[in-house]
Amino acid sequence: MILRNGKNDCENFHAENQYLFNIRTSNINKSNVSKFNIHKHTSMKNFAFFLLLFAAASFSSCKDNDDTDIKDNFSLTFRATYDGELLEKYKNYPYGDKVILFDKFNTYLSDIALVNGATEVKLSDIEWVNFTPDLAPNDKTVEVTYKYTVPDGNYTGIKLGYGVSPDLNAKSPADFPTDHPLYVESEYWSGWKSYIFTKVQGEVDLNGDGVTETNLFYHCGSDPVYNVATTNGNIAVAGTGSLVVEFDLKKLFTFNGQLLDLTVTTNQTTSHDASNIALGQMVMENFKNATVLK
Amino acid sequence: MSAGQHHALCGYSPNHQLNESPAYEIASLKLLKMKFLVYKAGIKPLIGIAMISAVVVLAQCKKDPPPAPLVCDLTDIPYSPTPYTIKKPDHFPQVPVPADNPMTAEGVELGRRLFYDPILSGDSTMSCSSCHLPQGSFTDNKAVSTGIDGIAGRRSSMSLLDIAYVTTRLFWDGRVKNLEEQALKPVEDPIELHTTWPEVVQKLKNHPDYPGYFRKAFGINSCEEITKELAAKAIAQFERILISSGMSKYDRFVKGEIDLEDEELRGKLMYFDEGAQFQLPDAQCFHCHGSVTLTGNNFFNNGLDSVGSFNDFVDKGLGEFTGNPSDNGKFRAPTLRNIAMSAPYMHDGRFQTLEEVMAQYNDNGTGFVNEDPFVQQIGFPVQGHYPGLTPSQTADIIAFLHTLTDTAFVNNPDVQNPFQ
Repeated sequence: MILRNGKNDCENFHAENQYLFNIRTSNINKSNVSKFNIHKHTSMKNFAFFLLLFAAASFSSCKDNDDTDIKDNFSLTFRATYDGELLEKYKNYPYGDKVILFDKFNTYLSDIALVNGATEVKLSDIEWVNFTPDLAPNDKTVEVTYKYTVPDGNYTGIKLGYGVSPDLNAKSPADFPTDHPLYVESEYWSGWKSYIFTKVQGEVDLNGDGVTETNLFYHCGSDPVYNVATTNGNIAVAGTGSLVVEFDLKKLFTFNGQLLDLTVTTNQTTSHDASNIALGQMVMENFKNATVLK
Repeated sequence: MSAGQHHALCGYSPNHQLNESPAYEIASLKLLKMKFLVYKAGIKPLIGIAMISAVVVLAQCKKDPPPAPLVCDLTDIPYSPTPYTIKKPDHFPQVPVPADNPMTAEGVELGRRLFYDPILSGDSTMSCSSCHLPQGSFTDNKAVSTGIDGIAGRRSSMSLLDIAYVTTRLFWDGRVKNLEEQALKPVEDPIELHTTWPEVVQKLKNHPDYPGYFRKAFGINSCEEITKELAAKAIAQFERILISSGMSKYDRFVKGEIDLEDEELRGKLMYFDEGAQFQLPDAQCFHCHGSVTLTGNNFFNNGLDSVGSFNDFVDKGLGEFTGNPSDNGKFRAPTLRNIAMSAPYMHDGRFQTLEEVMAQYNDNGTGFVNEDPFVQQIGFPVQGHYPGLTPSQTADIIAFLHTLTDTAFVNNPDVQNPFQ
C-alpha cells in the first residue's frame, strides 16, 4: 500500500472526491440558483444517481488499488563487496600479504525463496545478477534490485540456489524468450551443455611489486557444482519489505579461515575444465559463506 | 460546424488559433449583429444559427491567407501491414524484436530499399550497402571504410550477420543501444554518407515511390509524416532479417546432418575447449565468440596493443563512449560466422588473413590489466607460460572457422539489392 500524507491511496482518493464534490455543489448553489430551483426535482434525482455512481466507482477503485499495491511489495537487492566494502573494478585490495583486484563478477541464482520455518515463499525461478556490466558508468560494481510480491510475515531467512538448477541447466538459450535471464548467450557453454553459473575474474600480485600480474578466473558451471543454502536473518514484510544480500569476495576466497593460496597455479583458474572441477565446486559451495544479509 | 471541420474546409493548419485571428473578431461582431436581427425578425433559431455560421465561415475564408493545398495525401493507398516472421534455424535462439517496431513485410521491404538506395547520401552515390555488401557477409572487405568524400574512416565495417541478436549496444565501441539508433548515425557522419536527415527526409517526401512505401509500412497519411525515425525503423527491420541460414557446414554438423573433416573437428574441439580428452589444448575462442551466434555480444580488450596505461590506447573503443578509462582498448566481439568472407579483421582491419589473426592470438596478449585473461592462456602451458597453438593446431582452428561459411545466407534473395 502506498502512503501519502499519512493516508493510504484509497483514503486520499475519497478525500479528493469529496473536495471535488464540494466544489461542484458550491458552484451549483452560487451561480445557477434559478435554474436549480426550476429543475430542482429532476436535478435532485440526477444528483442522487451520480452520487451512487460515484460511490460505486470509489469502492471498486479501492479494490483495484489494493490489488495493485500488494504487487512487487518486496525489494531484494544484491550487492558485491570485498571485506565489507562495495566492490570496485580494477581496485587493488589487500589479500593477505598480497594485492588482488577484480574486473568481472556475475552469477546465476535459482529458486530464490524467503523461508519462514517450514514455509517457503518462492520469489523467482532464476535470476542473472551481473555486478559488472560492460556499460556501467564507472568502475563501481552495480547493485541489482528485483521486486517481488510477498505476503506479510516475519521470515527467518532467504534460500538461494547458487548457480542454475539442474532442470533449467538442461536447457539452452534457444529455449527461452528474449527477456529471460537464461537467454544470455554469453553465459552458456554450448560445448559443455551448461550455463556458466558464476564468473569471477581478476588478477593477483604474486611477485610483490604492487602491480597485479597473474590472471585469476573462476568460471564455474555444470550440475555437480550447483548447491542450495539458506542464510538466516530477520526479514519482516508488513505491507512492504526489503532485503540486501551481499556477496563478499574476500569471504568467497576464504576457506576454513584461510585465504585460498593463489601462489598455487591450480587455484588460479577454473573454467569448465573437467580436470579442475574441484576448484569450481569449492568456490560454488563457499558462496553460502560469502553471503551476508543486510 | 466544429472548429476542426472549419479548418478542413478552409485548408488551415490544425494548429491555427481561431480566436487569435482578426477575422474572428470581425466575425464575432457580425455574429452579435445577426443575433439581434434574428431575435427581432423572429426567425427560427436553427435558421439563424445556420446563417451565422455561414457568415463566420465566409469571413474567415476571405480574410485569412489562401489555404495551402493538402500535400501528398496517401490515404487512398491501403494500409494493411502483414506480420513478418523472421526465418531462423531451429537451433538458434529467438530473435529479439522491440515492441515499438514490430516486424512487417512492408517494413522490411521499405528497409531493404532504403538500405540499398544511395538516396541516403549527400551526393546520392553511397548507401548503407556500400559498406555492407552481401558478398562480404555485409562488410566491405576493406580495412577501413571510405565515405562519399573519399575520406577514410578509422574503423572497419562490422558484419551485419545475425546483428539482430546483438542486444548489448552496437558499433565497435557500443555507442548506440539498438539498430533503430544505429541506422541514424551514418547518414550524418561527415566521413560516411555526409548529409543531414532533414535533407534525406525531404528527398524521400519528394520521391515518386517512397511515400507509398512509408504509407504501407507505417500507415502515415501524408508525405509530411515521413521522418528519420520511421526510416531508421524500416532499416532496422530489414537488418533483423539478416540471420544465418543454418546451412553452413558447422550448422549441418550441429544438426547431425554431416560429419566434419578431422582437422575441422579438432579445430572445433579446441575452439570450444572440448578437446582435453583428445589431448587438444584450449584455444579459448569461445569465451568471446561463444554459443550459437558465436558472439557473446560483450566488449573485450583482446590484447592487440601493448600499452603502458589506460590512456595510451590510440583508439579507446568502448572507453571513448563510456568515458571510463578502464574501458579503453575494449571493442565489441563480432560474430565469427562467415569470418572467412569478412576479411580484413579487427576493429581497424589490421589483419588481412585468418593466419595473421591466429598469429596474434598465439602471442598470448600483452598482459595489460584490462586485457581479457583468456587471450593470455592459449595452448598448453609450458612451465607456467602459454606458447599458443602449434602450427598444425592453428591450421585446425582455421579449418574449423571455414566451416562457419554460410553462402546460403549471402545468396539469400530476400536480402539482395532490390534495384538490381
